[in-house]
Amino acid sequence: MEFPAALFPSYFGAGPPQEEGGPAPVAGWGEHGQVLEGGPGRRQVQPAFVPRRGAMSEKWETTDAAAVPVLLPSAGCWIPSPTPQDILYRSGLCRKLRAGKSGATLDFARQLGHFFVDHPEDAFGSLGRLLHKNFYLGNSKLKVIVTRNSTIRMTALVEDIDRLEARRGCPRQHLASRLRWFSHLCRDWLFEVPLGLLADCLHEELMQQWSNLLFDDSLTGGALAWLPREDGGTPVGCLVHPGGQAMNHLYFQDVVLEELPRTQGSPAQFELIGRVQQVAAARVDGQDFVGVRSDYHCGVWRVPSKRRAAPTPLQVIRTDVPASCLTVSPHLPGELSVCTQSGTVYLWSVETGLQQLRHDPQTMFFRDHSPWRWSDFTAHPRVLSCADRTGLQCLDARAPRRCHFDLFKVGEEAGCQQGERVVLPMYLGRAHPSQYLVTTQFSVYVLDERLPLVPVLKWAHMMKAPPLFAHLMPGKPGRSHNVLLGASRTQELLLLQYRDSFWGVSTGGSQSACQLAGTPQKLHSIAGCLQHLPTQLPHRHHLLQQRLAAPAAGLAATLQEDGPHKSMLIFQLSEAGDVFCQKLTHKAAQPPPPPSRDEATTAPGSSPLFEAPASSPQGLGTAALRYRRWLRAFSRACRESPRHTWPPSLSQRRLFTRRDLEGPAGPSSLQKQMRQRLRQTMEQGGRIQHWEPLALQPPPMPQTLEPAGGPDPLSVRLTAAWAGDWEQWWEERTSFSVAQRQRALRERRRRQKRAQGCRSLSASFTSSLTYQSELSELSDTGPPLLSPNRPPILSQESSLPPGSPPIHSPTTSAAPDEALLSSQSLRCRGIPKERRKTLRDYLSVWAEGPPEPPEPPGSQASQLCIPSSQSQLSSA
Amino acid sequence: SSNEHKSNFKKSKEACLSYIQDALLQKQWKRAAEFLSCYVESLEKDYSREHIGPSEMIWRIGTEILWHHSQSNMKEFNCFMEQMKTLGVKRYLKVCLEHVFHLLCNGQIDEAYQNLSLAESWRFGEQTAIQDKEMKLIQAYRGLLDYYSWSKQKSILLEHGEDGFSDLAVEREMHGYFRKAAVALKEIIKIPGVWDIFVKCYVDLLEFYGDHNEARQVLNEYAYNSKFPANPNAHVYLYQFLKRQGESKKSLVSALKILHDIVPSHELMIDFNTMLQKSKKRKKRRLGLEVIFAALDYAGWKENAKAWGCLARQVKQIVISEKHLDWIKQEWSSRKDWWPAFHFSRYLAKRNWQENKSLSYEKALVAGILLGKGCKYFKYVSHQGCKAQLKRFRMLKKFMNRHNLVYLRISG
Repeated sequence: MEFPAALFPSYFGAGPPQEEGGPAPVAGWGEHGQVLEGGPGRRQVQPAFVPRRGAMSEKWETTDAAAVPVLLPSAGCWIPSPTPQDILYRSGLCRKLRAGKSGATLDFARQLGHFFVDHPEDAFGSLGRLLHKNFYLGNSKLKVIVTRNSTIRMTALVEDIDRLEARRGCPRQHLASRLRWFSHLCRDWLFEVPLGLLADCLHEELMQQWSNLLFDDSLTGGALAWLPREDGGTPVGCLVHPGGQAMNHLYFQDVVLEELPRTQGSPAQFELIGRVQQVAAARVDGQDFVGVRSDYHCGVWRVPSKRRAAPTPLQVIRTDVPASCLTVSPHLPGELSVCTQSGTVYLWSVETGLQQLRHDPQTMFFRDHSPWRWSDFTAHPRVLSCADRTGLQCLDARAPRRCHFDLFKVGEEAGCQQGERVVLPMYLGRAHPSQYLVTTQFSVYVLDERLPLVPVLKWAHMMKAPPLFAHLMPGKPGRSHNVLLGASRTQELLLLQYRDSFWGVSTGGSQSACQLAGTPQKLHSIAGCLQHLPTQLPHRHHLLQQRLAAPAAGLAATLQEDGPHKSMLIFQLSEAGDVFCQKLTHKAAQPPPPPSRDEATTAPGSSPLFEAPASSPQGLGTAALRYRRWLRAFSRACRESPRHTWPPSLSQRRLFTRRDLEGPAGPSSLQKQMRQRLRQTMEQGGRIQHWEPLALQPPPMPQTLEPAGGPDPLSVRLTAAWAGDWEQWWEERTSFSVAQRQRALRERRRRQKRAQGCRSLSASFTSSLTYQSELSELSDTGPPLLSPNRPPILSQESSLPPGSPPIHSPTTSAAPDEALLSSQSLRCRGIPKERRKTLRDYLSVWAEGPPEPPEPPGSQASQLCIPSSQSQLSSA
Repeated sequence: SSNEHKSNFKKSKEACLSYIQDALLQKQWKRAAEFLSCYVESLEKDYSREHIGPSEMIWRIGTEILWHHSQSNMKEFNCFMEQMKTLGVKRYLKVCLEHVFHLLCNGQIDEAYQNLSLAESWRFGEQTAIQDKEMKLIQAYRGLLDYYSWSKQKSILLEHGEDGFSDLAVEREMHGYFRKAAVALKEIIKIPGVWDIFVKCYVDLLEFYGDHNEARQVLNEYAYNSKFPANPNAHVYLYQFLKRQGESKKSLVSALKILHDIVPSHELMIDFNTMLQKSKKRKKRRLGLEVIFAALDYAGWKENAKAWGCLARQVKQIVISEKHLDWIKQEWSSRKDWWPAFHFSRYLAKRNWQENKSLSYEKALVAGILLGKGCKYFKYVSHQGCKAQLKRFRMLKKFMNRHNLVYLRISG
């Protein structure tokens, strides 16, 4: 290929990049860059000029409104890769604190916690087994029994931990001293894996995951390849793509290109021992060589170009360090180049094995931390390019140390910006033997190895994510070449056209410089089809959205020429293993221009995809049918999926038997009453401010407590205290025999029953948990009716005046349902003491929004309503 | 609050920009134009500190839309550009330059010239380094247009000269253009860069007025100054200049030798090889073989029948004379492990035979000499050639039978 007789003018500087910058949203528009004399005519009176950017280009138009699935979704369920929410702190407070600082905070503690919970055997296996007899998790106090004297109660510790969880993200959270004490005590011996080591590993992994989320370069190059097959009639090809739940299966699927590509037969399938990261292919001497890279293994297959020819695996190599690049030589059969993250570049020949060309853990032109390396072939079969984030060098495999030159440098030479880094280099040999494509996160460059360091073309691509995939479709001589750029995370897909030559006049008709033709064109992404799909149920929509928005993992394309009709088929692979394709047709080849969807915004479900085209006899387009089939298979795959996609549900069956929870049939009187009131209010069109039966009545003044059956213990106690002989009172009280007390209590109970509602402060007497539990233990020995331990009810009743209408005064006996939570009733149901608290808490969670008692005007009574047995009121 | 207002405004600005971007990338120029008219508001409350501010964005987007919009015309475009020039002092020269480029591409050379002259006289405070570069480019392009005017006058004058009639006024005008062009062009080619078109024009001017020393100096500087990029064209221009000057073979060879060192795959290597083959000096013929072997290493030369012809001729000569077989041996030793697969596979034999018979003839000759008559390429091609009853191929077979064992000496 001839060298252009004149190049576009440009300045040439040396050194680090001068231009400050960053991602600029529109930097690629509105510039011609430079002009050069040229143009189609012979030398005329006036010279004709051509621009470096903005020349005429071929017009390609998409045929469908969205990308169309090629393969049906696989049966196995796809596990989405982690999202930022999974590994970052989520607390709003934390975000506020962090606002000033840059960078994200990894949620290290939560992940470590997950590990302990998910893998307790690995975390504390042996010591857990040794200690589990010595840890007691019950509620009651431990009695010192001889057999259990080495047991300690851990309940409080667990509660502390629970409380800690509730205070997550609080900047002023102090560890409970008990926890600190415990962790101090056992940090060194409790863990199966030393905690420091485990934490280091976990932190490293988290950092790795996070940096992968920011930018995952392991996918560079893409894991999709299209091998055209020679066949007389219909155009066919072979799609090489990974699949399976772990993307560790390699498929060679024959595809027939009709109106839309259609799979043919079942694919040749290979199971590999690693996730397929890259599939590279090149055709040499009429055979396709397919290189497959996973982290620690690279393999090469040979596929004859005949139709239905079976792929043959040729060789596999294993690397100690993850490989970051695998490219296949377009010149010599069975030659590949491999790079590893340790900075080693190999020329791999199936016949002669590996030849190390370079080993340098340092980057080439300036220091950069990334271990990513890349290598590709050049116009000379023995000269390979090596790339890292800072630039590209070419080296001769015959004397790699001596013979090398710099092809591209992130610096002033190429007019780079500060912070710009090489993302993907690609040899453009099929379009022009000495040209090279280099993409960075900001720009795309075309280089000519005969004029190193100075890009012959540069354009700011404005993509939101760095282009990790590129695909070249060479045009015929004199026509423009098509280059596709693809990003992973955002699924962006951009079609560029460039011309490596135009008809130069001044040069007497020889080749002239490289030009960017036309404007770049954005193509459909996989996720873009969501808005065209029929409306789904919300959870299905969510699943679908998650599936379709999976990062792209590869890109392949093919040009078809059928007489005057030219079309382009573009395949896109997602991390979920889906392959979607879209068809572009050359505009000149299409006599009636399709109605422009220029200003149309498509509403979900009402898409041109699903509108019946007049030409189709079935009433629906092929694309719509494809979608139907894909959606059906997808929903089938989802249904089979394990439960983790459903919202978590709680089962209470294990906590209590059904008998435990069985209440009396039919609604209680309180419920009846409430229902009636509700109905009444609704009829009246009013509203209920408080679910308080007494709210409508003026609350009574707390009466002076003069109970009919003698003074209650509190009054006695207070009187005694005032009189100064409180101690004596206590003595008396404690010396009560059990029998006496029981008798007295039974007596009181009877009285209470007689005068319902006439209750007093007596309940507050037993507001401490321990006392209550002691009493309840006591009560085991005799008849269970113990007034101070009276079953708790909605607390308002404690302030009920005597003689109030019964409909407004629900009582203990009348409301067994409400008394469900009382100790007695639980005990009656055979629920062990240790579990009662748990049950109460559990039920209280479900009974959210307990009724709020009214604040009686003019009284100092403040009433609490806590649905637990200790909730006796406090009115003074 | 004003803060909230700011952030809301920023958000809607960003949203608007992303709509525009989307429309541009889908070639929906009308839609983009509608959004852009809303986006213009962002100029009023420009809180951004990004390195591309709203005014530059509007310039870029607006230009792009006007290039493609079906209803735009040159007048509107010019009007828009004038407005954009006043929008930002820092970008004035850049916008001017781009405006000129557009005018040039649309054939409006005179308007472009006016704009260039206007921009050249623009002054605003101290120039930044970038503005300095842009100013130099503006001057250079103005100089280039002066050069075109000069050459137009020149052709008029030459036509008239043939009539034996000279026009003093035209001549004076032409000299004026020369002076203006020479000054501007001389300025830019001092700065490191790729200035192919400017160098060519400047050298043309100098040569016309007989200043060959200056021209030679300029070309030498452009080719050999290490601050300039390794531009093959610089060496080509120098070689062409030397050839025009009728310089000695020796200086031509040395010029091409340097080109060979930096770009072994340059198309001038065929000329270089023929030149060297004709030489009487052994060393030069040796270099010629090296040059043609090196060129054929490159993928771009794979099917170049001319180059294969050069190699075949030289190799055949060496074999017949039986002298210097060691030259071939040396060249072959670094290639014997990959040339057979790269050039002489059976697949290529088939394809070359189908596509280009003379190419396959030359290649078969080389393959036969280098690999013996048992090699796949030679076997296939000579078989096909004999089948097709082509005399050339029968001769080839005979020749190979005579020199059957050469390949053993070459590869041994």
